[in-house]
Amino acid sequence: MTTLEQLYQAVIDGKNKDARALAQRALDEGANPGDIVDKALVPAMAAVGERFKSNEIFVPEMLVAARAMKEAMGVLEPRLVAAGITPKYTALIGTVQGDLHDIGKNLVAVMWRGSNFRVIDLGSNVPATKFVSAINEHRPHLVGLSALLTTTMPAMVETVRAIRSAGCPPVKIMVGGAPISQQFADEVGADGFAPDAASAAEKARALVESA
Amino acid sequence: MEPRERYMAVLEGGRPDMLPRMPILMQFAAEHIGSYYGAFASDHRVLVEANLRCAEEFGIDQLSAISDPYRETAGFGAPIEFPRNGVPICLKPPLEEDPDLARLSRPDPLKAPRMRDRVDAVSAYKARAGGRYSIMGWVEGPAAEAADLRGVSNFFVDLLDDPAYASALMARCVDTAIDFARAQVAAGADTVGIGDAVASQVSAKLYESLILPHERRLVAAVHEMRARVRLHICGNIRHLLSGIASLGLDIVDIDHMVSLAEARRVLGPNIVLAGNVDPVACVMRGSPEAIASAVRQCYAEAGEPFMVAAGCEIPASTPPANLAALCRPIVPR
Ligand code: B12
Repeated sequence: MTTLEQLYQAVIDGKNKDARALAQRALDEGANPGDIVDKALVPAMAAVGERFKSNEIFVPEMLVAARAMKEAMGVLEPRLVAAGITPKYTALIGTVQGDLHDIGKNLVAVMWRGSNFRVIDLGSNVPATKFVSAINEHRPHLVGLSALLTTTMPAMVETVRAIRSAGCPPVKIMVGGAPISQQFADEVGADGFAPDAASAAEKARALVESA
Repeated sequence: MEPRERYMAVLEGGRPDMLPRMPILMQFAAEHIGSYYGAFASDHRVLVEANLRCAEEFGIDQLSAISDPYRETAGFGAPIEFPRNGVPICLKPPLEEDPDLARLSRPDPLKAPRMRDRVDAVSAYKARAGGRYSIMGWVEGPAAEAADLRGVSNFFVDLLDDPAYASALMARCVDTAIDFARAQVAAGADTVGIGDAVASQVSAKLYESLILPHERRLVAAVHEMRARVRLHICGNIRHLLSGIASLGLDIVDIDHMVSLAEARRVLGPNIVLAGNVDPVACVMRGSPEAIASAVRQCYAEAGEPFMVAAGCEIPASTPPANLAALCRPIVPR
């Protein structure tokens, strides 16, 4: 197996120390840091997302894979920055006000990072005003809203409205969470919906690339 | 039959006059009597009044002490905030940054205020309606409480990184769950509900090797107290059913994404299945007729022994006529 193949496998298996060492070894062997991201890390996270979607792995396995990717990125980032390679797109994500569920939102953030977005995570129980001020501050290409409770779906409606209002820069909006559907996304005027984290990554790329 | 007799009849393999109705009420009950969730979760008098009135009005056979996930977490020292119309919020999981178990005290259920409040709820049920209704106490299961103490993501990573630690943490949670269950049984609970929903998010392998042994110890301890056990793991638990079959439960709640027929096949003929009408799509948004027919469909799929319930909590904005439809009497075949 090549170093990149081993790195790919280490991320899938959630072996964070190996992932770090292998990323370093790949650099030492002369690999281009951007290629390491594109040929090992991004495909590894895509594979992890697919396995999660088909119930081969569950939330814990996905979290350790994400951590392994983060470790590898820690090694690569200084070189990426030095080479002027930064993620092309920025995304913001959070769970809407009144809602404390953050596991699903965290997994979406993981998959977005895994497909090479810079992700700013606002956490859970985030008021609409905080989304708006963060959009003004970070000027993201994409914002993701998560809601797990039927009682917080109105807060999602409210947040979309606030983001679309005057004074907030234009941004693509994606919504998701167990009770959210494509129909609901259309009704509230979001640009996209995805039922799981792997699809959320595909959809996110499609949205920002079409903008 | 009185509600409690009907409930016991099913558990003892006898024939009830109608199927027991066991929906889980929280925010709905609070708002139905003109109160609010924050009061329901922080003052047992509101919880007791709300559940008693709903039981009388809708025909519910069990009075429950469930309210929110953070009674024990507060006992372990976490700061909890009570929004007026929302679920209490744990401001900081006590072991989030520093996992050291030595920092964890063993709360006394009669002294820790939020735990005591639940024990008081059970005593009040007993005093006001003890012989008439079944009374269910409530404790958090090992995975749920461990996740509340560590933060869910940290706990999930612990399960893979440091199974010995995760297990030691769950053992501490079960010690407290047993203490808490004992206090509630002493106060008059005939049944103890165990909520362990986060377990739905782990693989069968992790569940069976790490979580199940702790659940088993808790179930056995409650049985030693001569109380019944109702397990509640909402969400999709198809992959956990064969492990759950080994717990020796009296009642298991089945959420709407799991087939009752499959649950019956895997869990065997003796366990009571409760469920699994979709709480949102059907109970909250459906018509009374659709709900009544969904309940009959559930009964047909589950077979005996069976109790009527939605897959999880009755959502707050459910029209009262819909809850009444869920509770419409069904004479067993
Ligand atoms: C874990 C959990 C909790 C934990 C949350 C811990 C945490 N830090 O997240 C705790 C114990 C705190 C909790 C509390 C409550 N919970 Co809860 N909880 C769950 C549970 C068990 C799992 C949710 C979960 O994490 N799923 C796993 C993730 C991976 O799935 P997911 O969130 O759907 O995310 C995926 C997709 O939806 C999508 N996605 C998610 N977000 C986004 C965002 C975008 C932009 C996109 C594109 C996609 C996307 O991608 C994700 C990954 O594939 C579910 C039941 C269940 N078993 O499913 C109930 C559940 C969500 N909870 C429920 C309820 C009612 C509550 C409480 C009100 C209970 C109570 N009365 O105390 C409180 C509310 C607290 C609050 N104010 O938020 C109900 C919600 C019912 C409803 N539809 O309204 C559920 C469905 C249980 C049930 N069957 O009734 N809960």
